[in-house]
This record gives sequence, structure tokens and C-alpha cells, in this order.
Amino acid sequence: MQQHILKDFDHAMNTLRGEVLTMAGLARLNLERAMQALFERNLELANAVIADDNEVDELERRVDQLGMDVLVRFHPVATDLRMVVTSMKISMNLERISDHAVNISKRARKLCATTVLPDVNLLEPLYTLADHLLRDAISAFSDRNAVLGESLHARDKELDRLHRDATATFGSRIEESGRSQEYLHLILIVRSLERLGDMASNIGENAVFLDAARDIRHDPARKIKRPTEG
Amino acid sequence: MISASSDPIAPSIAPGLPAIQVRDVDFCYGSTRVLKDITLDVPNNEVVAFIGPSGCGKTTLLRCFNRMCDLVPDARVTKGEIIIEGANIADRSIDPVQLRRHVGMVFQKSNPFPRSIYENVAYGPRTLGEKRVSVLDEVVERSLRRAVLWDEVKDRLHDMATGLSGGQQQRLCIARTMAVDPEIILMDEPCSALDPIATAYVEDLILELKEHYTIVIVTHNMQQASRVSDRTAFFYLGELVEFAETRQMFENPANQRTEDYLTGRFG
Repeated sequence: MQQHILKDFDHAMNTLRGEVLTMAGLARLNLERAMQALFERNLELANAVIADDNEVDELERRVDQLGMDVLVRFHPVATDLRMVVTSMKISMNLERISDHAVNISKRARKLCATTVLPDVNLLEPLYTLADHLLRDAISAFSDRNAVLGESLHARDKELDRLHRDATATFGSRIEESGRSQEYLHLILIVRSLERLGDMASNIGENAVFLDAARDIRHDPARKIKRPTEG
Repeated sequence: MISASSDPIAPSIAPGLPAIQVRDVDFCYGSTRVLKDITLDVPNNEVVAFIGPSGCGKTTLLRCFNRMCDLVPDARVTKGEIIIEGANIADRSIDPVQLRRHVGMVFQKSNPFPRSIYENVAYGPRTLGEKRVSVLDEVVERSLRRAVLWDEVKDRLHDMATGLSGGQQQRLCIARTMAVDPEIILMDEPCSALDPIATAYVEDLILELKEHYTIVIVTHNMQQASRVSDRTAFFYLGELVEFAETRQMFENPANQRTEDYLTGRFG
């Protein structure tokens, strides 16, 4: 993009974008470490994720401050305005993603205190898909790629399907196994992963707005019917 | 209808028709072509903002709408038509004085006559032959009310207009423009010499006036264009680069040059 006449404006916008990408990297790392703590029964790693969430919270505040500062000082319009608005909205989603990583870590800590539960490994495909959605959502924002951003909604439906299947499986295990507490933790972790997919999809929608100035939220044309729906 | 003959009672612009139709207009100062193939419609009862860097031709086009450009030697529309109320007002047979009854103008710097507030507003109707005091009183009050100035000056109508604040003087000039009941009001950077409070009063007034008038405003203040106008035209080097609904233009301009200008990445 061509340089702005005001160098200070370019600096402020680059800083804003940089902070959102830093936040995205941290949120994704927290999720990765939370899942690693769960799969490897690593208590120390789970505690580290919980402790490091402050950093993401602080970045959310900073992105809001920077966004407000740009709005007040420079009155951005067009693509610059969309960058400020989407940055602030995406940072809110990233903060919530990191919160879900914390929730997963807390449940991982509790599962560490019990005997090994092999069904934990059933979460692997859900995590992989959620992580890919998050990775692509961040890329869609970073590269201003509306096509990639728009694709996330449909791919999130696959995560929803995995969520339903896993919840049904773990629900039946609650009665069969006699380890209801542990399986409830797994059901809630699955729900966190499903919510992560929704947030990645939200970030994708923001990327579409940033790149193409189209608001595709709640667009009925995008509704994908489940096989059971008429 | 604006015509070459004496002016009948000013009719309203026909409903559904644009207030101003600009068709393929070129304008030259001597041999220098400063407007090139301009075509646009100014819809009735809307505010249209003209924006662009200095020298892009926006003020020239504004001044064509009431033939103020006639005052510059060797300046003329060399091609195309500007149609207001069915008449091509670029045609030299149109009487500019008569045209200006229909197309009023507010300038960058407020320019009240060194007379009383009352006389400033009554000047136009008087020049047109109105002598009845009761009618003049009514026109003065109605115009000052529409300019949202009445409450501030009603007890000192016969004080000198030059004693008013800058913002009040500009609203007085708007009232003076409205006193001859034009259909179209042209504003050439009407707030550039005003403080933020006075600017807010004038902007608020513009939005109210839209109900009765069609307004074309030239402004260098992008925020002002985005606040007060329904449509915005962006000019560059004598060309109309983009003309679109203001919200659309400020959120997602179609042309890269517009985007570069609006976002400060020009040149």
C-alpha cells in the first residue's frame, strides 16, 4: 500500500495490525499448549497457559487503545477505517479464544490428577480442525484474503459435526465407564473447541469486511443445512 | 422555468427530476481546459458534496451552476449542458441575474452588507421589487427562522449585521440567500473560517435545509462531507473521478484514486 502523507498515521496503523497479529500468535500458542498439556498430562504446561493469559488480556486493551487513538487523531475512512474496526473486533475474539485455552488447561489439570483416560485422544481431530480454522482466519486477516475468510463458515460446520459426534460418544461413556466427572470435562473441552471454530469463523467474516467491504454476518444465503434438516 | 425572458413566479423543480443535470461539460479559462467531460445529476432535496485537491475544478463547476464564472474574463463552458428547471443555464441567452434567484450562493467568508440584520435579509426581495413592509417582515422572519438565527437576533434586528459573530454572520448570509426563495443553494467552503461550534450550527442547518432546498457544497473537510452530504463527487485535475452515495464512498470507494485521496495517500 502507498505511504500515507502523515508518517505517524502509517506508524499507528502498522502498530495496530502488528499487535493484533502478535495477539493471534499468542492465542494460538496458548491453545496449542493447552491441548499439549491435556494430551501429555503436563501439569506445568497447563499452569503456564493459565498464567500467560494475562498477556493476551493486556494486548486486547492495547489494541482497543490504539484503535481509539487512530479514530480520534486521524478520522480514518475506507480501507483504513475497516482495518481499525476489524482489528478491534478480532482482538475481542482472540481474547475469548485464549480464555477457552485457559478453560481447557484448567480441565487438563483436573484430568492430570486422575488415572489415564485413553479417550482423550478422540479430541485430536477436533483440535486439528479448530487449529487449522484459527490459522486460516488469522491468514485471511493478515493477507486481506476475503476468499479464505469466507470459506471458514462452511468448514466450521465440519467442526460442529465432530462436536456433536464426540459429545454423543462421551455422553454414552458417562454411564458405561463410571468416570462421569472425567467425561464431563471432555464434553466441555469439546464445547470449547467448537466455540473456537465459531470465533475463527467470526474472524473470517471480519477479514471479508476488511478486504471486500462486505458484511456477510447472518447472511441467510450462507446457511448450510444439516443432513437431518428438510 | 428559467428562461431568457422576464422571470415568472419561481416554480418548483419537477418531482422526480434531478435539480441539476450536468451533461458532458467542458469549461475553459482561456485555452486552459479545467473541467473535462463532466456528467452528473444532483438529485432534488439532497446534499451533494464536491471534494478534491485544490485546483481540481470543484469550485469552478459550483460557480457554473449560477454563472458566477461569467465574472472571469475569457472563462466559459465550451461543451455540454447544465440543465436546471429544464433550461440549459450554460446558454449565454439565460439571464444570470434571474438564474441567481433560483440558485443562491453562500461563500467561504461571510460577507454581510454593512447594514442592519433586517436590511441584509430584506435586500433580495426589495431588489426584486417587494415594497410591502408586512411581506418583508414575514420574509425576514421566515428566512432567519430557517437559518436558525431568529431566536438569537429577533430583539436586535436593526443592529448592524457586522456586529454578529462569524458563525452568526454566515447563518445570516444563508438567511439572505433563502430570502429570495431559491430552489438550489450553493455553498463554497461555508465553514472554513468558522470555529467548531459555529461549524456545527451550520452543518446542522444544512441538514435541516435539505427538506426545502437542494444543496451543493464544496468542502476540503472530509469529515464534513461525510456528515452532511447524501452523495459525494470526487474531482481530480478537472475530471470527475467518482460520484457515489457518501457512505459508500467513505466506506468503500470504487476508484483507487478516490481511496488514495480519502485516506491521505495522494501524490
